[in-house]
Amino acid sequence: MQSKTPRRPGELVFNLFVIAASLFLFYSAYGIAGFDALSSAGAIPMMTTALMALCGVLILRENLRKSPNTAEKIERDILPIPVIVTIIAITAYALLLKPLGFIPTSFLFLLGLMKLFSGRSWVFSVAAAAGSVALIYVIFRLIFTVLMPQGVVPESEILAAIGHLFGGAK
Amino acid sequence: MMDVINNFLIPFLDLKLLSLVALGTFAGIYIGAIPGLSVTMAVSILISFTFSWDVLPAISLMIGIYMGGVYGGSRTAILLNIPGAPSAIATALDGFPMAQRGEAGEAIGITTVMSFFGGLVGIIVLAAAAPSVSAFAIRFQPRDYMLLAVLGILLVGSLSGDSLVKGVFAGAMGLMIGSIGLDPLTMDQRFTFGSTAMMGGISFIAVMIGMFGVSEALIQLHSMKTPGVKQVINRIVPSFGTIRKYLPLSLQSSAIGVIIGALPGTGGDIAALMAYDHAKRVTKNPEVPFGKGAREGLVAPETANNAAVGGAFIPMMTLGIPGDSVTAIMIGALFIHGLHPGPMLMVEQPHMFWFIVGCLTLANVFMLIFGLTGIKIFVKVVEMPRTVLIPLILLLSIVGAYAVNNSLTDVYWMLGFGVLGYFMRLYGYSLGPVILGVILSRLLDDNWRRAIISDQESLPRLMHGIVTSPLSLTLFLAVIFIFVSKTPLWAMIKRGRA
Repeated sequence: MQSKTPRRPGELVFNLFVIAASLFLFYSAYGIAGFDALSSAGAIPMMTTALMALCGVLILRENLRKSPNTAEKIERDILPIPVIVTIIAITAYALLLKPLGFIPTSFLFLLGLMKLFSGRSWVFSVAAAAGSVALIYVIFRLIFTVLMPQGVVPESEILAAIGHLFGGAK
Repeated sequence: MMDVINNFLIPFLDLKLLSLVALGTFAGIYIGAIPGLSVTMAVSILISFTFSWDVLPAISLMIGIYMGGVYGGSRTAILLNIPGAPSAIATALDGFPMAQRGEAGEAIGITTVMSFFGGLVGIIVLAAAAPSVSAFAIRFQPRDYMLLAVLGILLVGSLSGDSLVKGVFAGAMGLMIGSIGLDPLTMDQRFTFGSTAMMGGISFIAVMIGMFGVSEALIQLHSMKTPGVKQVINRIVPSFGTIRKYLPLSLQSSAIGVIIGALPGTGGDIAALMAYDHAKRVTKNPEVPFGKGAREGLVAPETANNAAVGGAFIPMMTLGIPGDSVTAIMIGALFIHGLHPGPMLMVEQPHMFWFIVGCLTLANVFMLIFGLTGIKIFVKVVEMPRTVLIPLILLLSIVGAYAVNNSLTDVYWMLGFGVLGYFMRLYGYSLGPVILGVILSRLLDDNWRRAIISDQESLPRLMHGIVTSPLSLTLFLAVIFIFVSKTPLWAMIKRGRA
């Protein structure tokens, strides 16, 4: 008998990954203290990972009963280009944050994604990205005092100069 | 008594704290109202910026965001037929038809006033019940806490997703993530794979922002080109006659909201649906049929989901057990600020409890003020294109994950959990149990070990303790019932009765 909801593209692969990861983690949990005692440091990790693996198998059984969804395509409904680009963009952001600093990295990140997603003019994308970075900077860096890497922009000197400008006017 | 009043009034009398509650409520309403930005996402991203603050300002902002976010979800449910939060699903059933009839302003007005009533009832019950629940909870045995933790995860798992097995998997995964690092009792390494960076465990914030911020933003990328819907906003403030007419239903729905909210694992979404069902049964002759724009269909769920906020704070503050994913995040944040929600909080730091009650009351008042004003600006915010909004959410997520420990490792963890959460959402796994699992991991682990050690490492002795204690037995039976109710056997019993 087949289940009513069809199986989505890639669901079986994800399911197998879940089972493999759970079994690996169970093996790792066993390595903590073996079957030493019920109160050992490894007891709860072993129980939880065994439960994960068991659930993974039950989900697999359910998935195998489902008929595949032929109307959906993996490149359109599961991993479309914007999702892949966004994952790459976040990774690039993390890599560039320390050397370039918060302001240029955030500007490039927003500019790239906004231009790509909206398909609007460069002027719009540059204005939207610059405005957003300015707003986030004021709210989080200046008001909430969140520390972010300075990188190539001499932020503290600029802020000191602005402070001096207003302080000097007194 | 004077201490209670003094601590309750702190957020009202301190201008800085008052402004933070107002700011949080305002941000919560607007973020919670934007389609695709849930209250969980809003709370998880914004809370991360408060970790370097003192405890009182941080709590003031967090509570404002929470209260505003729960209410904000109703706005898009009415205007766009897209609930901003699961608790606003029932609101859309009658709210959107009202908007289509050109009564969006009235619908928003009724929603706001009734949410205020509901919120108030929830807070009063919290203030009245929490001290007694806490006094009772001091007598809980470790096995009771263990069972309560299991019950909470199971309830969220069984109610929030399409499959109990997937819910249990997600909860177990959360427990596993929460156990990563050095074991606090024996200093054994758990899932660290020899990496010193993992000995302190994985940042709860990175998991939370990844699961709720990044994964939700990635899902939203599928529907970026969805065109916005524009609504005409007319009169907003409801007449006194309207309020008086729906007050009895509002009070009944508040009672449902508080009770459902107070149960571990059940939150505003279930409370709202149950109250909607109740309204359908008790309203014999509605002016407009339910599902076509009945005002009763708006009053009941909105009162209930805001009453559930106060209700959800009862197990959270007195037992340390979160009611849903948002309260799980709140508990995590309170831990980071050095507070330990649980029965001892009322004994050791009662002032914090009354301060929190004060913040909730203030946030409820601000919710009423902001809810009835600034609708024109609000409509513009809701119409903001997703192509601009999603990159902004992602940037805020990255900054939030980085800011907690000034660590890029946390950004990578956030991305990893974001991608994992994205696939889990696509394939029907609910993420609420993961966060609940992470939060409850320590509680479950500690109490399991205490319970089994006190029973001399003997499972039969532990089981004997469970079946001979009325409280433990009740909790144990509840756990068993959740499993049985999801089996074909239960379906057969129900069919047989019908």
